[in-house]
Amino acid sequence: MQIIISNQSKEPIYRQIYAQIRKQILTNELKAGELLPSMRQLAKDLDISIITTKRAYEELENDGFIYSIVGKGSFVSEQNKEMILERKMKVIEEQLMSAIQNSKEIGIELEELKELLTLLYKGDT
Amino acid sequence: MESVIELQHVYKAFKGFELKDLSISVKKGFVTGFIGGNGAGKSTTIKLIMNLLQPDSGTISIFGMDLKKNEKEIKQRIGFVFDSNIFYENITLTEMKEIIKPAYRKWDDSLFDQYVDMFELPLKKNLKTFSKGMKMKASLTIALSHHAELIIMDEPTSGLDPIFRSELLDILRNLIQNGERTIFFSTHITTDLDRIADYITFIHNGQHIFTKEYYKIEEEFAIVKGGPNLLDRDTEQEFIGIRKTNHGFRALTANKQRIENIFGDTVIIEKPTLEDIMLYTKKGEERDARSYS
Amino acid sequence: MLDLIRKDMILQKKTLPFMLLFLFIYLFVNVSTSWVAIVFCIVIIMNAFETDETSSANLLLNSLPYTRKEIVSSKYIGALFFIFLTLLPIFIGNWMIHGEIMHWKVLLFITSIVMGFISFAFPFSYLFKSKYLLIGSGAVFVIYMVTLRFIPDLNDRVREVVQTVLSLDNSLFYFTIILSVALLYVLSWILSIRIYSRKVF
Repeated sequence: MQIIISNQSKEPIYRQIYAQIRKQILTNELKAGELLPSMRQLAKDLDISIITTKRAYEELENDGFIYSIVGKGSFVSEQNKEMILERKMKVIEEQLMSAIQNSKEIGIELEELKELLTLLYKGDT
Repeated sequence: MESVIELQHVYKAFKGFELKDLSISVKKGFVTGFIGGNGAGKSTTIKLIMNLLQPDSGTISIFGMDLKKNEKEIKQRIGFVFDSNIFYENITLTEMKEIIKPAYRKWDDSLFDQYVDMFELPLKKNLKTFSKGMKMKASLTIALSHHAELIIMDEPTSGLDPIFRSELLDILRNLIQNGERTIFFSTHITTDLDRIADYITFIHNGQHIFTKEYYKIEEEFAIVKGGPNLLDRDTEQEFIGIRKTNHGFRALTANKQRIENIFGDTVIIEKPTLEDIMLYTKKGEERDARSYS
Repeated sequence: MLDLIRKDMILQKKTLPFMLLFLFIYLFVNVSTSWVAIVFCIVIIMNAFETDETSSANLLLNSLPYTRKEIVSSKYIGALFFIFLTLLPIFIGNWMIHGEIMHWKVLLFITSIVMGFISFAFPFSYLFKSKYLLIGSGAVFVIYMVTLRFIPDLNDRVREVVQTVLSLDNSLFYFTIILSVALLYVLSWILSIRIYSRKVF
């Protein structure tokens, strides 16, 4: 996890940490379930006080980006399911598109394709 | 959150000096920086916590125990560093260790050796020959060798060079990694606190001004700069302390938001340093004293 | 508490051998054994006391997990220990050099005098400082000298009294002395704890 903070910045340090971790979660650099460094460790690494990292983590937790388990640490939340969902949907869309493409090439009708899909979907479960 | 040190309504009067209704609590697992000008009562407060002085009234509890009743048990768990050398002068560090060691149940020789190595302290040399920095390192070594849960230091960085000050902060940071240790130290080198302090306790003239999370100070307090025409009897009341010149003013507020609402873009608002806060609090007091007289 | 007495030993480590050396020299010279023993006991005990009198030593001891009661008590118990430590070589030295075994009455006499002195010196020093003890004893000496002018044979009289006391063969009398010195010592001990508990560092 890469975090760079500036002492010169007008933005408070905990906000800088918050913003950078959030960005890494949103861009999937930090994956759901991934363990974040402990507040104390992060404070040590960044050469800042513990209360600052604590505040950043608290805000991340309040906004649902991370969750913490007492005695274990803080983890990246599953809560950005929507995004994961969106990403998956895109993949499905693409795969379906290629299926449609192939169907059209050999002249399979929409109804026929639907039937096939229903069959496969049900058979699979 | 759990408090390790708890002072409640503590009064202590000396000739020409008074601690007034001092209530302070120090949170477990964090570093609290204790600031205030010379003669503000920092050393007195630390001595009260160490039971070197007894309060005229009020209670002091440490680790949730009454200090008066559980003095020995409490001190077993405290590591202390004073600003002056408190070791016997005519003996070596090894001999000093032999004197201190039996006092603590949890004394750890290997830990002691580790710090002696790290600080490159001579064991066989007379403590009298130690430089100020070495004496501080020796104090620190002794303070850290019995697995203390609370570390109390009075001006530990005064008279030390920046490199060792930085090393010291690293050591302190390592100490609090497990979250079980608490550090309470007074200093007037406020830049040391930027890097490590979680809470700031500020006293002035024997009175507790505030104890706050460090970042809250930046959120609430601000240095305000503006033209001289902005100040009048009413607006002046918004500030803790003001410094006026012919070209404008510089002032400290404890309510940044409010100042932004009142003055908007007509002033420049900046982050205050701890020194600013100490300085303007003093200035404000002088102003108030004048207006009362 | 024994740790605190051990601490005094560590601190005196360098001076004690010298003291013992001097002690033997004095034993060779024909000075009153009791006198030498008393002086040495007092010097060693007060030396140990003085080392802990600086404000830094008080800061240190009171910051360590010791109570003030223990700090004071260690001085009183330590003093008894130092008396033993001084009397032992004197006893042995006397036996080796002069071939005489000291009478237990002499040992008792020495111990009583030293304990009596400490009973006054400790509370006085806790209240003021041991350096004023010199001024205090100076004053006592001046009074002594003045008295000497009026009673020129005071020294002989004192010696006489001491001799009579020592030659008394009344166990009840000795018992009374032991008891009163012990009582004085304990009272002084309690007083010192009271004084020391109120001290400010």
